[in-house]
Amino acid sequence: MNLLDIRNLSIELIHDEQSILAVDKISLSMKEGEVRGLVGESGSGKSLLAQALVGVLDDKWHVHADRFHWRGIDLLHLSIEERKALLSRDIAMIFQEPMACLDPTTSIGEQLTEAIDSGQLSGFFWQRKQQRQSAAIKLLHKVGIKDHNACLSSYPHQLTEAFCQRVMIAMALARRPILLIADEPTAAMEISNEGQIFRLLASLNQLKNMSILLISHDIENITHWTNTITVMYSGQFVEAGTTTQIFSKPLHPYTRALVDSSPSANLHLPAKSRLKTLPGSIPILQHLPIGCRLGPRCPRAQQACVKAPSVTNFHGHKVSCHFPLTPPSPLPKKIIKGDN
Amino acid sequence: MLVFTLRRLSLFMFTMLLLTLLSFSLNFLFPGEAIINLSGAINATPSQLIELNEAYQTHRNFFWQYMTYLSHIINGDLGLSMASQSDISTEIVNLLPATIELSLVALLIAMLVGIPLGFIAAIKHNKLTDNLILSVSMLGYSVPVFWLGLLAILAFSINLGWFPSAGQISLLFEIELVTGIQFIDILLSDSPYKWQAFSDATAHIILPACVIAVAPATIFIRLARTSMIEVLETNYIRAASAKGLTFQQIIFRHAIRNALIRIIRHVGLQFANLVTIAMVTEVIFSWPGIGRWLIESIYQRDYTAIQSGLLVLSCFIFIVHILTDFIYAALNPLARGIKYGA
Ligand code: SF4
Repeated sequence: MNLLDIRNLSIELIHDEQSILAVDKISLSMKEGEVRGLVGESGSGKSLLAQALVGVLDDKWHVHADRFHWRGIDLLHLSIEERKALLSRDIAMIFQEPMACLDPTTSIGEQLTEAIDSGQLSGFFWQRKQQRQSAAIKLLHKVGIKDHNACLSSYPHQLTEAFCQRVMIAMALARRPILLIADEPTAAMEISNEGQIFRLLASLNQLKNMSILLISHDIENITHWTNTITVMYSGQFVEAGTTTQIFSKPLHPYTRALVDSSPSANLHLPAKSRLKTLPGSIPILQHLPIGCRLGPRCPRAQQACVKAPSVTNFHGHKVSCHFPLTPPSPLPKKIIKGDN
Repeated sequence: MLVFTLRRLSLFMFTMLLLTLLSFSLNFLFPGEAIINLSGAINATPSQLIELNEAYQTHRNFFWQYMTYLSHIINGDLGLSMASQSDISTEIVNLLPATIELSLVALLIAMLVGIPLGFIAAIKHNKLTDNLILSVSMLGYSVPVFWLGLLAILAFSINLGWFPSAGQISLLFEIELVTGIQFIDILLSDSPYKWQAFSDATAHIILPACVIAVAPATIFIRLARTSMIEVLETNYIRAASAKGLTFQQIIFRHAIRNALIRIIRHVGLQFANLVTIAMVTEVIFSWPGIGRWLIESIYQRDYTAIQSGLLVLSCFIFIVHILTDFIYAALNPLARGIKYGA
């Protein structure tokens, strides 16, 4: 059974009577214990999607989906409060810029203990404080912080970014989540710290069988840590498959370009020659192209591309393109039709 | 914290230096002879004048004159009032506490009313409550204070008779002057009518304090509203809600504290505004404070009193400003650190 199964989720920005489709019919599914990468340039709507999953978007964003199942429960049939309660119990999220995600005026200890939900504590109320404290210390040990007293009494600005991210992970673990969404957890971090955070996440995945949705703009950076990858472009679904499929046999022109532009793919390029990239840049929300949003930048675009392509499934390797790169030999079976 | 304190202290010294320089130069800018303006001795005999010239070192250059002026101030000698020929420093010592009392009570009322209302408006952002609070605050801000004061007297003292219209306390009560702050003096006194006096003094202060508080309260509403809206949009609030905290927990544990910190910074600035309003209100309610005294001095062209009064008042405002800075630092761990620039 899928842990998470989302079909055709769209997020609309309502602004001055106008609506902009920031995320356009994305489908995403995750299995238990899986590490999935969600890749896209900044502005591709990946963070929006993650925030919609945990329900922290504010009122100006409207989310709707054809299907939203969490561990077999249809969330669309629950009330907003029930959904929020269920999701915040099972899904935790860590963000980029961890320091900005910690309240600057409250000590780490206070912020960590309040994340521990009182259902986990046994004793009477006068023992609660003590229990919370020891639970907080245990959490810090889990994320590899040994000097817990110094950490608990300090304020966010006294710690480094990587340290803050560990604290954020500790907070996320406080609820014993089944799925952890990591939104660019290592952005603006040094390479050595980056490795530490990824290793920590990987060990949590293996030891606790915690599923992780790893969001990143850098496909190469995360291939090492993920089982499967979903690629997004400008709010549209591009391609999904296992990491090997995506990295070695990309079917979509955009994924191809992403993989080709990564430094390791360009190792044998002569010095000072241009990296292989797509021309142009990602469209801004106010000027989205119709049909396939990659259209203006796509080397393979043809007239059919003014209509949004539907998703085609080649043995679990899903791609959304009218003219995929390596045409498959057996007849593809269409699984989802775009409604236009 | 030590560095922070030293910084504030040096800022205080410099500001005082500038303020005294200004009040010193006023003596030369006001009409009349500088030495008379300085000392206030309008009826001085020629021999007294020679003594005064000696005391203020008028034969030396401006720098030394300024230095002697400073030493006079430090010794508590602010000269004589031109109008009444009484010692200005004793008058100020008698009058200033009443103003401190009135303006602090008004500040308290303004904050207690304004900040929660602003928070409510921010939480109900763009809803009816928000618009209602904003329009009321707009109204409160645009009403001129002297008109409001007269209206308040008309409504609450004359028509309804709830509150007295003038003075600090009924003349029936005799309260010994100890600290100058009347409420403390009443509590310290051993008069059998202590509690009657206390309630009478409270009744006297309510009306003027409320009138003063109206305009600053509306500013606090706006400040509280914008800072709360800003805080609610920050990442840590979003992260806290992803952490599974309820909306109330987020508001009470994180948002209010961070929003308050942003507001506290502005309290010092608003206080200067409030004291100006208090001066006008003191005249309307015949409050025996320094504001009324200063305005009367202006009418009487009592230059010595004007420059000393300005000096003392601005000094008071500045001290409150520094105090709010300390409260800000105590609440905000960031300000205590090295990263704090200013
Ligand atoms: S649908 Fe057309 S424009 Fe879009 S990626 Fe495929 S070929 Fe390019």
